[in-house]
Amino acid sequence: MLSIRRISTNRWWHKKKNWILFAIFLFLVFVRITKGSFYKDFYYFISKPFWPGQFQKEVVLESIDQENLIKLNLLKKDNLRLRRILSLQESSNNENISAAVISRKTGSWWRQIILNKGSKDGVEVGNVVIGPGGLLGRVNNTSLFTSSVILITSPESKLGVWVDRIQVNGLLVGLGDDYPSLILYSKDADIKVGDFVSSSPASTLLPPNIPIGFVQSIDKTLKSKKTAKISLLAKPHVIDWVQILKVNI
Amino acid sequence: MNKFFINKLSIISFIFIPIIFLWHPNWVGFLGVQPYWPLFWLLPWSMINGPVNGLIFGLFLGLILDSLTLDNNFTQIPGLIFCGFLFGRIKFHSNTFVGHFRYGLICSLGSFLCGTLYFLQILFRNFSDSNYSIFVPGIKNILAEVFLTGFFAPFVCSHLLRIFKSSRKTS
Repeated sequence: MLSIRRISTNRWWHKKKNWILFAIFLFLVFVRITKGSFYKDFYYFISKPFWPGQFQKEVVLESIDQENLIKLNLLKKDNLRLRRILSLQESSNNENISAAVISRKTGSWWRQIILNKGSKDGVEVGNVVIGPGGLLGRVNNTSLFTSSVILITSPESKLGVWVDRIQVNGLLVGLGDDYPSLILYSKDADIKVGDFVSSSPASTLLPPNIPIGFVQSIDKTLKSKKTAKISLLAKPHVIDWVQILKVNI
Repeated sequence: MNKFFINKLSIISFIFIPIIFLWHPNWVGFLGVQPYWPLFWLLPWSMINGPVNGLIFGLFLGLILDSLTLDNNFTQIPGLIFCGFLFGRIKFHSNTFVGHFRYGLICSLGSFLCGTLYFLQILFRNFSDSNYSIFVPGIKNILAEVFLTGFFAPFVCSHLLRIFKSSRKTS
């Protein structure tokens, strides 16, 4: 009788510690499902005193001028081409949101930045994020006060791009380092070091003609494709202010 | 209230791992890579509380860190669970000086395991692309992370171990 009672009091569900562990597990599953929104908002508040100040505005404006010049030339060319073809849809980008970078993971496996604007400011998943120089990435997740941007250098990022000089579409794939790989599905593509790469007019994820970078080196031709390393114009590890483009493609 | 905080210091410090993970301070980085922060907490915790607790909190850490990174296809859980279990089986060394360097070696090994498991997932996912150029940054990331984790572990782990032990004694 005594031994039966002892066994029955030692069941796992009689231990308070197990229930606490189970409750913590459920809470963490909740955090996982909500993609850490709770944590990101918490981080938003505690990192607020350390956000980049206004003095960087001048540096940023100078870079934006350079970027705009390149963009203008591209847009002129593109406009001319579109007038000839008259078959592409126009993209509208009337609404931009300025945001500060409050967390930055630009090394190692995880390449993402967290911005101080979230769903309450109208940021949506899929919005395009640009910085001084050009494209940085796309918004992948939003919480109430923050939004997480997956950088184009991330191994998860795959985007359609346009090589302007040879007028060819390609695929830009992040490798987990600072130089994403450009894949051209034609071994005869006459790509050269220094060629300018921008977002593709045929892309369904990005608006056309956002500057991305230059061809830094060309790899060996493999089977039916040619690959090249791209040096990005926008440097995510130093940029503190970005623009979120609310675009309808 | 004060006693409560001292008793629960190990759990309270757990909350700050994701914050450091998000903070990503560049001044402790090398080649743009950071030390693998969760291992600094997981090693002392598992050494004190044993392999099962290490495994459980490895899972908890993995869940919370996965929710903060945007890579939906890759997870840190297997590496952290394995490390939690492995660290729990390690005994304390009688020589304190040797013990400090052991933390460095153990964390380096843990970081290597976690990094390799993560890299294998990326390779497996991108297998169809047969993209050999992913190897170079992958190996660079693993080696830099192993070096940094091993470098900082003796400082951080021995402090955390002392704090956890003292909070355990008072409770």
